[in-house]
Parts: sequence; C-alpha cells; structure tokens
Amino acid sequence: MSESVVHVSELTKVFKVPEREPGLRAAAKALIRRQTREVHAVEAISFDIEPGEVVGFLGPNGAGKTTTLKMLAGLLYPTSGEARVLGHVPSRREKDYLRRMTMVMGNRNQLQWDIPALDSFELNRAIYRLRRDDYLAMRDELVELLDVGDLVRKPVRNLSLGERMKVEIVGSLLHRPMVLFLDEPTIGLDVTMQKRIRTFVAEYNERHGATVLLTSHYMADVEALCKRVIVIHHGQILFDGALSHLANEFAAYKTIGVLLEDGNVELDGYGEVISRDGDRAILRIPKAETSRVAARLLSEHQVLDLTIEEPPIEDVIEMVFAQSR
Amino acid sequence: MSSRAAPLPEEGRLRSLVDFYATQMRTSVVAQLQYRAANYFYMLGMVAEPVIYLVVWSTIARQHGGAVNGITAGQFAAYYIVWTLVRNMNIVFGAPFWEWRIREGRLAGDLLRPLNILHYDLAYFAGWKFVVVALWLPIAVGLSAVFHPDLHPSALQVVVFVVAIWGAYFVRSMFQATIGMLNFWTTRGAAVFDLYMATEMLLSGRLVPLQLMPGWVQTFADFLPFKWTFGFPIESLVSNLSTRSLLLGLGAQVMWTVIGYVLFTFAWRAAIKRFSAVGA
Amino acid sequence: MAGGDQAVLGGGRVNTLRVGWLFFKVGVMNELQYRVNFFVQLFQSLIQVGTGLVMLSLVYSHTTELNGWKESELLSLLGVQILLGGFIHTFIQPNMELLMQDVQQGTLDYALTKPEDAQILISVRQVRIWQVVEVISGLVLLIVGLTGVQSSIGAVDALAFTFALGIGGVLVYCFWLILTIGAFWVVRMEHVLELFEGIYQTGRWPVGVYPGWLRYSVTFLVPVAFAVTVPAEALTSRLHWPTLVLSVAFAAALFAFTRWFWRFGLRHYSGASA
Repeated sequence: MSESVVHVSELTKVFKVPEREPGLRAAAKALIRRQTREVHAVEAISFDIEPGEVVGFLGPNGAGKTTTLKMLAGLLYPTSGEARVLGHVPSRREKDYLRRMTMVMGNRNQLQWDIPALDSFELNRAIYRLRRDDYLAMRDELVELLDVGDLVRKPVRNLSLGERMKVEIVGSLLHRPMVLFLDEPTIGLDVTMQKRIRTFVAEYNERHGATVLLTSHYMADVEALCKRVIVIHHGQILFDGALSHLANEFAAYKTIGVLLEDGNVELDGYGEVISRDGDRAILRIPKAETSRVAARLLSEHQVLDLTIEEPPIEDVIEMVFAQSR
Repeated sequence: MSSRAAPLPEEGRLRSLVDFYATQMRTSVVAQLQYRAANYFYMLGMVAEPVIYLVVWSTIARQHGGAVNGITAGQFAAYYIVWTLVRNMNIVFGAPFWEWRIREGRLAGDLLRPLNILHYDLAYFAGWKFVVVALWLPIAVGLSAVFHPDLHPSALQVVVFVVAIWGAYFVRSMFQATIGMLNFWTTRGAAVFDLYMATEMLLSGRLVPLQLMPGWVQTFADFLPFKWTFGFPIESLVSNLSTRSLLLGLGAQVMWTVIGYVLFTFAWRAAIKRFSAVGA
Repeated sequence: MAGGDQAVLGGGRVNTLRVGWLFFKVGVMNELQYRVNFFVQLFQSLIQVGTGLVMLSLVYSHTTELNGWKESELLSLLGVQILLGGFIHTFIQPNMELLMQDVQQGTLDYALTKPEDAQILISVRQVRIWQVVEVISGLVLLIVGLTGVQSSIGAVDALAFTFALGIGGVLVYCFWLILTIGAFWVVRMEHVLELFEGIYQTGRWPVGVYPGWLRYSVTFLVPVAFAVTVPAEALTSRLHWPTLVLSVAFAAALFAFTRWFWRFGLRHYSGASA
C-alpha cells in the first residue's frame, strides 16, 4: 500500500455527447435513437501525490483538468481506471471521505446568497458535524488569515467577487480538510486579490500539512505555489515533475541577450533575432547550440554583456502544447 | 504540528442532525423575512385560486337551497380557508427547484457535503413555513370575516390537523422530489410536471372537496398519495371524521412518506449515476 | 441618401413600427428553432383544457346554471379566457419578464441606448410563438361553446367581440407594464407572475358571481373582468353598449397613464443607475 494521498492509475473518462442534426425529423428520430459521439476527456492518466504536496495542474481549456478534479472529488464517475484519495474511492462519496476533503470552484458559489456568510458557516458546522470549540477556533483562524472580519456579517449578495471568493474559501475549509481541490480559485479576481489567495493557500498548506491540487490559468499562481506541475493536454499527461524542469524538457530554445560595442554588426548568421535595438539584441537559439553560439559571439565580436535565459514559463507551456499538437 | 493530517473529532450523529435542522430553519426564516413583499405577492396570487372555487360553490349552494351534496356555504368557506393553510404547508422543494439547482450548478456543491440532500430542502422549507404561516394569519382572518366559515373542530381534530399538515408536507416533499429527478434526463420536464400537477389537482381535493366527485373517482383517490396532501388534512379539521379515520389518515401519511422516500432513493441513485456520468 | 431623408422627415413612427416588426420576426425565428416546444406546448394546453372541462362538468353536474350562465355559455367564457391567456403568454409576459430581468441585472441600458421609442422596443423584444397553441385551443373551446348557445350570433356581435377582445389585450398589457415598472423601485418582483396568474384565473367565471369588493377589484384594479367577461358578453348577447363604451374609455385612460408611468419610472431608473 502506497503512502500517497492521491493515487491515480490509468484513470479514464469518456463522455457520450449527443449529436443533433437540425430539423424536426432529426429531432423526432433522436427521441427513439440517440446519436452520440464519444469525447475522451481524460485518457489513462496516472500519478501519485504525497502528503503535503502542492501540485499545479496545467493545460488549456478542455484539456481534462476539471474533469480529473471532479473525478477525484467524487462528482464524476470514472469510465475506467482507478482513483484513490486518502484511501477512499471518491465516486462512492463516503461521508468519511467528504468530511476530509474540499473542492473550491472559482466560478461557483456554495454559500447562501441572501444571508451573511456567518450563518452559512453555522450550517456547515452542523453538516460537517464539528464540535463548537473546534469550529470556532478554525473559523477565527481562517477569518484572520484571509482578513474577512467584517465581510462575514454582510449578506453574500452584497459582496464583491473577490470578497465572495474569500468567504467562500473560509466556508470550504471550516472542517479542516486534508485534501484541497482548487479549480481556478483566482479566476476573474484582480491582482491583489489573487496574491492574497495565493499566500493563503501556501499558509494553509504550511500550517496543516494539507495536500493541494490546483488548476489555474494564471501562471503566477502556479509559480508561487507549486513545486511540482502536471501538464495535461487532450486528456493525456505531457509532463509531471518539478516546475523548474519543465523548461529544460520542453523549451527547444533558449534566448541569448547581447550588448555589443558596435551597433552595426550583422547577427543573422548566429540564429533567429527576436529583437534588435542598435547595440542590444535578443536571439533565439536551439537549446543544444546555445553554448556554441555564445562562444562564437564572444570570440567574433566585442561583447559588453551576454546573458543566456530560459524562456518565460508561459512560453514554455505554449511550446509544450504546440509540440503535442 | 499535532493537528497535521488528523481529522477533527465528530459531534454525535443525531445531535448534529437536530443542530442542522435548527440552524437551517433559522437561516431560512432570516432569509425569507427579507422578502416579505415578494412572499405576500406570492400568497395573494395563491389565495385567488381557493377564493374562486369558494365563490363558485357557495353560489351554487345558495341557488340550491343552501347546500350542494350536503355541504353548506359555510362549510365550503371552512374547507377553502383551511385549504389556504394546507396549500402553504404544501409548498416544497419541488420539480422546478430541482431544475434550478441543476441549471445553476448548485448541485455539485451540495454533493460535496456529507449530508443526504433531502435534509437541506426539508429543513429550509420547514423553516420557511414559520414565515408563511405568520403572513397567512391576517389573510385567514380577512377571508373568515368575508365568507363566514362554519368551523367547530374538537381538540382531537386540532391535534390531528397540526400533525397532518406536516404529514402532508412530507408526503408531497417525497413525491415532488422524485418527479424532480426527471430533470436529470430532460430539460423539458415541464410537460410531465404539468400532468402530475393536473392529476393532483383533481384527485387530491385541491380543486373541489372529494365528496363532490363521482364515487369511482373517490375510490380511486383513496389508493393514491394525493388525497393525503390536501383533502385529508383539510377534512381532519373541517369534517366530522371518526377518531378511527383520523388515525388511519395519519397512518396513510406515514405509509406514503415511506413509499415516497423509497421511490426517491431509487430515482436519486439513478440520477446521481447519470449526473456523475455526464457531469454538469 | 434621398430615401433616408424622407424617413427622417416623414416617418419616425413608421420607422419605429418597422423596427418593432423586425424584433418580432427575429423573436419568432429564434423560437422556431425549438420545435419540440410545440409538442410540449400542445401537451400542456391539452392538460389545461382538460382540467378546465372537468371543473365545468363538475359544476354543472350539481346545477344547470351559474349566475344565469348555462354550461355552453361558460364554455365560451373559458375559451375566451384561455385564448386571451395564450395571447398574454405569447406576446406580453415574455417581454415583461425580460424587462424585469434587465432591470435587475442592469442590462436595460442596451435597450435604452437604441434610437427608438424605448417603450415599444421593450414591448416587442420576445415572442414565445409556440404559446399560440393556447390561443388556438381557446378558440376551439369558444367555437364549441358557441354552437351550444341557442341564440344566433350576428355580424355586429362578432365585431363587438373582436373589438372588446382587442381592448382586453390593451388593458392586460397596460396592467402588466405598470406592475413591471414597479421593478424600478422594488428589485424582487418575480412573484408578480404568480400574483397575476392567480388573479387571471378569476376570468374563468362570470364576474357577477363574485362578491362586490372582489368584483370591483378584478374589474378596475386588475382589469380581468373587462378583458375576459366583456368579450364573452358580446357573444352571449349580454353586452350593453354603455359597457363597451366604458371599457374603451377605461382602456384609453389606462394606456395614457401607463405611458406617463413608464417615462416616470425611466427617469427614476436613469437617476438611480447614473
């Protein structure tokens, strides 16, 4: 038996999507026999997550990130393969499991709209069968960490999007879950609010040793929180490892920035010039050739400064997806 | 840290459930009190229905020397005024609410929490009843002043009535929730709900007291759940049912609640299977 | 462009009507995509008519006439009520619901920024064309009912009926719009629909059966009696000309008031949202 908190092996989800043709006859026919098309949302993915890890789930829209999270949270039934979280099979939705995990969806709200969040928290206390002192301690800790002191007394409908997300998170963590599935928790929020939520997740992970699996469109979230990323595309895992290795593995290019003494030097022979501004130039060089090209530049011209850099993480991700197409 | 990876201790099961009901009911009272005006619109619209029936039947009663099938205008008034309370008790988390819950993506959130989904709805609407009944009282007083109901219940009848309106609430909750499961398969459930509502209308005593129906309809209605949600609770207060019939009626409500619950559980399992196959 | 100039000079109203017609056409085309709704609607109309008929036959199994109305006459009345209800559900209610929603979500601005008469625009934006099935089922009931009415119907009666029905449509439109304008002040108005539907059911029975206070309410407060009973009276030879004149005057006054109230509400809305 492995020690991992999340164990996924050969997990697959195939959706049957009804195919509809326009017209009355097709509609009538569809009543009798449904035309369906299979969509492979997640295809035989496997990974393990150790206790206390914060893992980023990356991929373009429709890659299968949310589908995977939903399967792990017990909202979707896998077509085949195995998923285990904290030793439970999520799709059985056992109460013991539900009490130990949480899922936060950035575009959904679970708090009741018409009443202050504080009252919704009380409901969660009863639903999760918390003892009052445990509940109060946890609530006060979260309220303080997220700095939502006054907000919890206002009806949820009067809160801004960011404020709502913060109280939403408090509500989802009152039972001190050990596994957090965060699906786009910062979507639509401004930069300050995104930062706040990021710091909070790191803090919670630190304090309680919780395991976190998160998806986000914002690379800043991932860079700040996750040492490890899993890149998924067309339902398959393209990369699973340290964020720092991602560039090594996928970036076919590095960039060389040079500051030349003579601004008129012809650089086309060295590689692709991305930008040129007199004596400053940035070149894109295939990874294998970077050191050779750098050496040539240094020996053939008067170079005042030279830097070799990995491309930005956004570009790397883009390259990952471009290569797999 | 000692707290690491250790789940929080649990409160007792029953105590938590009672706690949940109390909290949820309080919550819904607070929420609904904010919408007094909206609630009143709703109730006034609803009261139109029994007033129409009442006016029609008491007109006929007067034209025919004071009674139709032995029911006098005053008894009609009693029937339809009690009707308004029973109707309010009968508002449950029904099929249209299920449609809303699925369409708005609220279901996923509810599924993530470790509690049978029926509890949320039963508790919320049960709390709402307290607001509704408070708003209903002045309407009932007004209707009584206008229509002079003939109402002389015994103490036992009052007790049975108080229990029976909650029985009606449970029976109707179970069946409406079961019908609501249709929303998992079709977005055009409205037609089926209409059929269900029309059947209920005719066979429950909602449209007319079942006594006015042909004999075979009355017999038919005895074997269906509908009558126990309208006709029985109303008549437990306004008619002279024997103690035996009163207790049998409560028994029937218990039976139909259980049957409804079993049906719901089957439908719910299938619905969840479908929901987690297609996602939302 | 010469044609454009002409439109500016001669036909502001005409242009508004043209825009209205376009909106209407788009609305119908939208709905035509969902043809299954036709069958759903047909089914629902059958249920509605069925329940109405059961109630009628129950009433007439215990009596031969209600407030002087015979069964076939009441069947006609039911027909008129369902017919007009269908008209309301097709044209009036969807637009009013959309308006209410727009006010709540602050999206009304889109309609207000169009260079046309806003009241007309918000009144023609949506059509639930399949609800026409209800109009047809009402018409069928009406005709069946009329064949049972002894006295024959002359051209004048038919004309008076059509006219009274049109007046009824205007009245209901005005009433609905007045209620909806209330949404400018009170945000939660969704139960207004239930309120109207409830009260509209009073139209199934001759207004004479109701006690005085209710009769006046459903005549002047909520003009259901004018909208349903008056047309039905025209067909069952009960209509007195003064009633028809009164209903025309009432409709004109209510329409003028609605127009004023709309502008008043709009001023409030613009002031509040600015």
